[in-house]
Amino acid sequence: MPDVPAFSARRIVVNASSALLACERIALMGLMYLLTGLILVNVVTRYSHFPIYWIDESAVYCVVWLTFIGASAMTRLRLDFAVTMLTERLSLRHQKIAKVISTGLVVVFGVALIITCVLWMDPIGLARAGFDGRKLAAETFNFLYTEHTQTLNWPTWVLYLTLPIFAVSMTVHGLANLLEDLELVPRTPPKGFALSELDGVN
Amino acid sequence: QAKEFRLGLITPNGHSWNKAALKFGDDLKAATSGRLTLTVFHSGQLGNEPAMMQQLQSGALDMGFIQAAELGSRVPHIAAINAPYIVRSTPAVAKFVRHPAAIKLFDVLPQETGTIGLGWGITGMRAVFSSKDLNSLADIRGMKLRINPTPVYRDFYSSLGAAPTPIPTPQVFDAMANGQVDGLEADLEFSWNQRFDKVSKVILQMNAVFMPMAAVVSGRVWQSLSAADRELIAKTVKSTLDAQIDELAGNEPTLIENFRNAPIPIRQVPAGDTEAVIAEFDKIWLPKAPVLAELRKVGATL
Amino acid sequence: MITSAAFVAIMLVGVPIGLCLCLAGLVYIAASGNPVLFQSYPLQLFGGVDSYGLIAIPLFILIGEIMNGGGITRRIVDMAMAFVGSLKGGLAYVNILANMFISSILGSATAQVAIMAQIMVPEMEKKGYDKTFAAGLTAYGGMLGPIIPPSVMFVVYSVLAQVSVSDMLIAGIVPGVILTVMFCLVIALMGYVYNYPRADYQTPRQRVATILRTSPTLLIPIVIVGTILGGLANATESAAVGAVAAALVGKFWTKEFEFGQLPQMMLRSAIYSAIVLFLVAAAAVFSWVLIFGKVPQETAGWIQSAAKDPVSFMLICNVILLVIGTVIDGIPGLIMTVPILLPVATEVYHIDPRHFGVVIVINLVLGLLSPPVGLCFFVAAAVTGAKPGKMFMVTLPFFVISCVLLVLLSLYPSLSLILIK
Ligand code: NA
Ligand code: NA
Repeated sequence: MPDVPAFSARRIVVNASSALLACERIALMGLMYLLTGLILVNVVTRYSHFPIYWIDESAVYCVVWLTFIGASAMTRLRLDFAVTMLTERLSLRHQKIAKVISTGLVVVFGVALIITCVLWMDPIGLARAGFDGRKLAAETFNFLYTEHTQTLNWPTWVLYLTLPIFAVSMTVHGLANLLEDLELVPRTPPKGFALSELDGVN
Repeated sequence: QAKEFRLGLITPNGHSWNKAALKFGDDLKAATSGRLTLTVFHSGQLGNEPAMMQQLQSGALDMGFIQAAELGSRVPHIAAINAPYIVRSTPAVAKFVRHPAAIKLFDVLPQETGTIGLGWGITGMRAVFSSKDLNSLADIRGMKLRINPTPVYRDFYSSLGAAPTPIPTPQVFDAMANGQVDGLEADLEFSWNQRFDKVSKVILQMNAVFMPMAAVVSGRVWQSLSAADRELIAKTVKSTLDAQIDELAGNEPTLIENFRNAPIPIRQVPAGDTEAVIAEFDKIWLPKAPVLAELRKVGATL
Repeated sequence: MITSAAFVAIMLVGVPIGLCLCLAGLVYIAASGNPVLFQSYPLQLFGGVDSYGLIAIPLFILIGEIMNGGGITRRIVDMAMAFVGSLKGGLAYVNILANMFISSILGSATAQVAIMAQIMVPEMEKKGYDKTFAAGLTAYGGMLGPIIPPSVMFVVYSVLAQVSVSDMLIAGIVPGVILTVMFCLVIALMGYVYNYPRADYQTPRQRVATILRTSPTLLIPIVIVGTILGGLANATESAAVGAVAAALVGKFWTKEFEFGQLPQMMLRSAIYSAIVLFLVAAAAVFSWVLIFGKVPQETAGWIQSAAKDPVSFMLICNVILLVIGTVIDGIPGLIMTVPILLPVATEVYHIDPRHFGVVIVINLVLGLLSPPVGLCFFVAAAVTGAKPGKMFMVTLPFFVISCVLLVLLSLYPSLSLILIK
């Protein structure tokens, strides 16, 4: 295992990934509390004839955010389901190569998702339009920044932010995993996750 | 040149909008000897209505049958068509949506949504199905009522004193059966298919609101078509929707007959009850959608 | 074609399944010459999980976590043991019967497997069962979830097919009960072949004592069912109420639950849910590109030319749906196939739409239990650490008997229609 200088690009990637994971851990707990709370409040208020109109929608978006934040965290925790029928029959050396390829594809997907998010959310066009969503819509037929959700009446782009965040954090986690798989940095055990022993996956 | 269009809508196969979409495709193919064809993607196969709108805007999807609720949540001007008591019967709905004033609502669509509106299709007037006895609008006060969660309906049913409760469509029947809500509002066709009469004590025909659908074309795609093709498409859509509107309005007596044969009563809201409700509603919505005043005038003549 | 090839190739390298589906979607868009679809791609991913029905998954996983942490599940197993444990393969029956019971609360196969695998597999392992068999059996038990009411899949189907929700739910009862009985017969048979462990003998007095000692655990299902029947909550909301009940029972009765454990339980529930939910999102994006490319529509045309009568149509459907179910989760699978197959079924072959719904749902659920994706196996694997591939081989008799049920249903539609009206 080579020594890693304190301010190398590798160190930055791994530290960024650890910091992201720590945020994701807090966010996941928070979202789970929020979801349970929202649903319980909904039961009580509806039963007492004062239903709160926007709770169902909030709960749904809570689950959407939980999905993508959790999907990013599980990338770093190497928890995803993968087919190991073929790779577990390979020699150790070939297994390592397969590992590097599959982790590399995680990074490829992360980058591709960043690109699709940029195409979709068009931050450059938005800046050019002076951060005026209606002007952007008039110029490009992209109405993203003019829409609101049905019952919460929040701007939808705020809720959609989970996707670019997911794309970036997944790329960072993917790079950190790739550096570990290439044995360029030592493995960092995740902090604060007491999960069961999961040898069947990845 | 030859082109294959994609049309998306959220209603399931067999719904009267879907039949219209398929017929539109057939007519288009016949009129152009197969040069222009259409594939229909139903049941939200390409995504829910917001997702279809996004694909219409980017030009990935060519056409859509989009409910007024979705367009209205983007443009209050369009939401005016969902306002209560513009017209008071399904036959009047059938006339109203073909009136120039209703068609003119589409003028704002290109700028506000990036789509071109070609015409309205309809569902019938919505009724309230209740597990408590209902005779008049006053009886709705205090009810937990499942509604279509469009802002117009919310304001309308709130003004009646109901507690509007959004419940996802697939769970409405169960919510009604186990008493999570005291009632629901829906059009008669959907209610008959879901057999809401089996979990209700009474049906109150509100004759207040209806949920039309707009046949829209992607603005990007529209720009790429020749003038002749645009004209042909507009004409074919119009004749298809005409047939859909007439058929739906024509079927309503049969539907009402079905419900009459069900063991629960079906009642009408007395017309005199509605003045105060309209005034209260318009106080909120006239500033947001000034066109509402004109729609009411037109509606009153039908 | 290129999409499927890309999918299989990257899957075999060991790329996580969710990512395979996502990447195959990107490859398809790149190959389709319709690059404007890239702009819709993130929104389709979002839309895949933007659905009220999915809220049930994290909440039910949370109940499982709290019940485990509070020592409640162990007491439920003790109680079931007092009833049937002394038979040969007792815990295997307990597993299936407990699943059948839970399936009347839960609507989702994957959520059910996640919970039951946490509850049953450690117990079965302790009593000497092979871990892989225990996890695989639990996955098959999870099949009962979407078949015995209430079932999210049946509700989604009834909306797609415009048939009555209650008719659909009732239609699932007889096939669900038949499946349970058939699973028990397989356990009896396998029990003799593999000599499954029998639990320690209990005297009638001991049994009564166990049942009395463990009966407060019943409070949780009573709260769940009670809030639904009492009109307090729907199935999803009752899960949140049930979680509170489980926490209270764990805190004040078993005294094994501490509120300090809650943050970790929340975290684990969130992560396990995300594993399943991200697959749902990925499946949605994948089926969107397939539908855009009209792959399902072309398949329907091909079926119509191949099947001459209703029975052969149903049998062809069985095979196709099983294959679709192997790569696509239940609800996205329904959304993809129902609009295409149902009109052919009802208009060309005059098959009852409710019966067709039962067959489609069982088919797609069985797809969740077959390679290469076999979502239920992966969920069981994620929770227990057993290997999905081996799990499939060990539980092959259950797969065979499920296929037998499908053939029976294809031949005798009355099995699903008998209780309606
Ligand atoms: Na169930
Ligand atoms: Na499968």
